[in-house]
Amino acid sequence: MSYDDLRSYLAALDRQGQLLHVTERVDPEPDLGAAANAANRLGERAPALYFDNVTGFESARIAVNAHGSWANHAIAFDLPPETPTRDQVREFIRRWENFPVPVERRQDPPWAENTLDGAEVNLFDVLPLFRLNDGDGGFYLDKAAVVSRDPEDPDNLDRQNVGTYRMEVKGTNRLGLQPVPMHDIALHLDAAERRGEDLPVAVALGNDPVISVVAGTPLGHEQSEYEMAGALRGAPAPVSRAPRTGLDVPWGSEVVLEGVIEARERELEGPFGEFTGHYSGGRNMPVLRVDRISHRTDPIFESLYLGMPWTEVDYLIGPATCVPLYQQLRADFPEVRAVNAMYTHGLLAVVSTGRRYGGFARAVGLRAMTTPHGLGYCKTVIVVDEDVDPFDLPQVMWALSTKVNPACDLVNLPNMSVLELDPGSQPPGITNKLVIDATTPVAPDERGHYGQPVTDLPETAAWIDRLTTLLAERGGDR
Amino acid sequence: MTTPHGETEQPAPTTVCPRCAAAEFGELAVSPVPGAWRVLRCDRCLYSWRTTEPARRSSRAAYPERFRMSRADIDEAPRLPPVPDIREDTR
Repeated sequence: MSYDDLRSYLAALDRQGQLLHVTERVDPEPDLGAAANAANRLGERAPALYFDNVTGFESARIAVNAHGSWANHAIAFDLPPETPTRDQVREFIRRWENFPVPVERRQDPPWAENTLDGAEVNLFDVLPLFRLNDGDGGFYLDKAAVVSRDPEDPDNLDRQNVGTYRMEVKGTNRLGLQPVPMHDIALHLDAAERRGEDLPVAVALGNDPVISVVAGTPLGHEQSEYEMAGALRGAPAPVSRAPRTGLDVPWGSEVVLEGVIEARERELEGPFGEFTGHYSGGRNMPVLRVDRISHRTDPIFESLYLGMPWTEVDYLIGPATCVPLYQQLRADFPEVRAVNAMYTHGLLAVVSTGRRYGGFARAVGLRAMTTPHGLGYCKTVIVVDEDVDPFDLPQVMWALSTKVNPACDLVNLPNMSVLELDPGSQPPGITNKLVIDATTPVAPDERGHYGQPVTDLPETAAWIDRLTTLLAERGGDR
Repeated sequence: MTTPHGETEQPAPTTVCPRCAAAEFGELAVSPVPGAWRVLRCDRCLYSWRTTEPARRSSRAAYPERFRMSRADIDEAPRLPPVPDIREDTR
């Protein structure tokens, strides 16, 4: 069963014991941010949190940490909550193969119940905004889907982009928005600004869980996020037309903002505690003017805490980062077995691959850096043999500790591109990148003494079954 | 409000922006429940804060040094992304 909106997903989390409704009164700050931060520290079964008794608000409804554990991520994909991480990634890959699934256009979206237009627009009247981290410059929208089209090709829906970009609330109708240069909205904005035109946008807040995942997935420029959502949901994504801009937005959203990114305008934004576990600096960023708000009656405001990993964002975009890198590498190198790019949105990635010949593995590592996502991430790529599971970090550490000779296995590339938020980049946006070849050398690369590996005994697999049975029987006796 | 170190944080009356010390700031929002809090915004550095936030976020005296912004920080903040040139055919 797929979810058409945030509410049905929260209800499913609740049924499976993965939603904690905090009924006692809390303060907007620091309680909401601290509680969301704390939920991230509760481990793999951490629940989503729901608040509806917040000091000073009459009808605030706030959800945080909706994706913030492997159990919740599994439920978002309608999998059993105990599904292991690597199996969730495998299922993501399997469903990806069904792309594209055309959208289902629906009338009468529930967010059309209430409208604020022009001078009536006041974000504070609709959203119970709050600060997350101490050094944040203000209150942020950090889990919304921002929709825009290519001004050079506005009728091409494959180029309609749905992405998550942080937005600082700077006025009753004014947001600061961060377009990372590697992301599609930056291309749309650049095209609009070269024409001297504002860029129309719609901002969908409070969405079904798969929309939030695809909005954070680095798809190709002409891959539709909605059609990918259909593949991942196993059912067409329901969308509706936003009345002012004509952009396609999720049918089930809680709140839809419409407006424009003002052409050639930049204004101080930030800092903001980012997914890197560090604050961005204060920068002059584009400004989004909100001209219309549509919203459900008593909307639920969804927010996401992020800071030192792991936090909700790491679950939200972890598998979503692995799978496109895997697919793009496999397109050129079918020897690639798995990709684990769950660390800081893929600033570090681990790739397992078979090897055609000596030097092949490091070529695979270099290719990861030249994928669309890799241009801004993949600062370090560790390449391991096909029998090493990139999701099993002790195995990865074994490969690093035994297969690597720093004399020859490090490929250090100067002055490569990376997203400006990488705190190690200098100047921001420029960094060296490193391939660590932790594979076993193959001919004609004859280095090292790897001819006598210790492998599991032929009878071990049968003994695993036997011991598992004995343990289960012993458990039954107790 | 109590910090992890045990001391009590009391929001002080706002006279300047906690972050950049500018004296000019305005009211962005008031609480739906009357009198509970206000949200203020600095006219210069655009920092916004709720009057009920802990002193470390709402009082200049308690605002951490590492988050403060000077006039130079504001004036010299990079512009991202850079504003491109207008296309010749649209001039």
